[in-house]
Amino acid sequence: MKPTIVKREPVVDEALDQCEARLTEEQIEKVVNEVIDKETGGRLWTYVNTCIHCGLCAEACHWFLSNDRDVSYAPVTKVKDTIWVLLEKKGKVDGAFIKRCSEIAHTECNLCRRCGMYCPFGIDIAYMLLVVRRICAKLGMVPLYLQDTVHSHAATMNQMWVKPDEWIDTLQWQEEEGQGFVPSARLPLEKEGADIMYSVIGPEPKFLAQLLGNITVIMKVAGLDWTMPATAGWDNSNMAMYSGDFEIMARVERLHHETAQRLKVKRIVMGECGHAFRGAEYDGPTWMGWMKPPIPIVHAISFYYDLIKSGKIKIAKKAKGPITVQDPCNVVRNGGLGDKLRYIMNAVCEDFVDVTPNNRYNYCCNAGGGVINVGPPWKKKRVQGNRIKAEQFKRTGAHTIVTPCHNCHSGIEDIVDFYKLGMHVKFFSDILIEAMEIPEHLKPKEE
Amino acid sequence: MPEVEFNGKTFTVDEDGFIDNYENWTEDWVQHVKKEEGIDEVNDEHKKVITMLREYYEKNGIAPMVRVLSKVTGFKLKHIYELFPSGPGKGACKMAGLPKPTGCV
Repeated sequence: MKPTIVKREPVVDEALDQCEARLTEEQIEKVVNEVIDKETGGRLWTYVNTCIHCGLCAEACHWFLSNDRDVSYAPVTKVKDTIWVLLEKKGKVDGAFIKRCSEIAHTECNLCRRCGMYCPFGIDIAYMLLVVRRICAKLGMVPLYLQDTVHSHAATMNQMWVKPDEWIDTLQWQEEEGQGFVPSARLPLEKEGADIMYSVIGPEPKFLAQLLGNITVIMKVAGLDWTMPATAGWDNSNMAMYSGDFEIMARVERLHHETAQRLKVKRIVMGECGHAFRGAEYDGPTWMGWMKPPIPIVHAISFYYDLIKSGKIKIAKKAKGPITVQDPCNVVRNGGLGDKLRYIMNAVCEDFVDVTPNNRYNYCCNAGGGVINVGPPWKKKRVQGNRIKAEQFKRTGAHTIVTPCHNCHSGIEDIVDFYKLGMHVKFFSDILIEAMEIPEHLKPKEE
Repeated sequence: MPEVEFNGKTFTVDEDGFIDNYENWTEDWVQHVKKEEGIDEVNDEHKKVITMLREYYEKNGIAPMVRVLSKVTGFKLKHIYELFPSGPGKGACKMAGLPKPTGCV
């Protein structure tokens, strides 16, 4: 096979460079074969042997389309340059090769699975790139910023080094903020037997605390019996799933589910995050050998859909349009919530403008799959790698983009900034809190 | 790493525009970020946030929770966003010379 012509600006990532210097060829061979023999099985071989190298997947990939159809960004090339070689050479490769594998799998693929939809055989190409990440992680070849997040998960069970006292303090603070809108609102901690455990991702308490104030108000207005844990297990995010460190991924997922079981709740409602849903609903349970999550998982989109459709939340003042939306891959393409997302967008927006292509055919934000988490060294490539997303938003003429996912939110802010789109980026709950009706008896009494 | 020039001074930054090293922070850096972030004027309230962030980072090696920032400065969360439109994790940390926080941000 001819080698791929790869043109990239050099990027310095200390963790990758140090790992390359340290790795021996014996270590690499051992780990590659261990993963392939013990963790992959028929699935990987079926995919590799079924692929006819037709290249239709290329047209599906935002990296390929945004980089002027540079073949080195096509999904089939990413597979050809990584797992095919590892299989062919039976793991006999050097540190520089593993470093390139990490660059491809961690920084040039979002595992968004759009390519799999356009493959004539339905090959899950993202799965193969995840196997490559797994091999890299077992060799310690993980970009610096991403590995820092994984360390945080391992040490604190949340992704942003949030300490237990800071977590509780933040919740109580945001309970007070919520009470500014609805004085009787509560953010109940550790309420055993509540209907709902609400879980969020690290950035919410760390920097975006207003989202916790929002949910305090929404839960009260909807009249729901809910709680949040005061212990670790509150963070539903999981960057270990994306680095390839599945042992830590499993610890994080198990604690999240066990915390819900300890609180004896009937369901877990998750905030607006896509990859967290992937970890809790399918990737986590699959790795742990569970048939399904022990307690049902409800993503924010489904949750708000139920509240609005049932009339528990009424809309008083729709947001003035035009407003558009981003479909988070892990809950829309891979979770089927696209129609519900459109229902709630139409419910709260006067003029909802859809994107093209949309719903499960939508392009990835290019931040997901841990690609924003690999940090600043790789940012330029990331924003340049999603020019088509900027063009797509521009065509809508919207002034605001709603992103029901933290990765999408941060990634699209970067794209808006880089391509000077002049649009606002908001979470759905930011729009909902402004649009919903607060019943008279719940409003603050005038002095 | 890319370099930026401001007021005759050169700073090395990462791709997100954060300064390469906390030690290299100066008043000129603040003025540079002010321009980048579209902030009209750096007032005493901005300075209070920057001082707090730098003191906290020096002690703890990490950016503080926004709760701690709000408690120490006495500013409400909404006001912190008014001061730094791109938020405490991006705009404020950048201006204070801290590295970009890790995680989904």
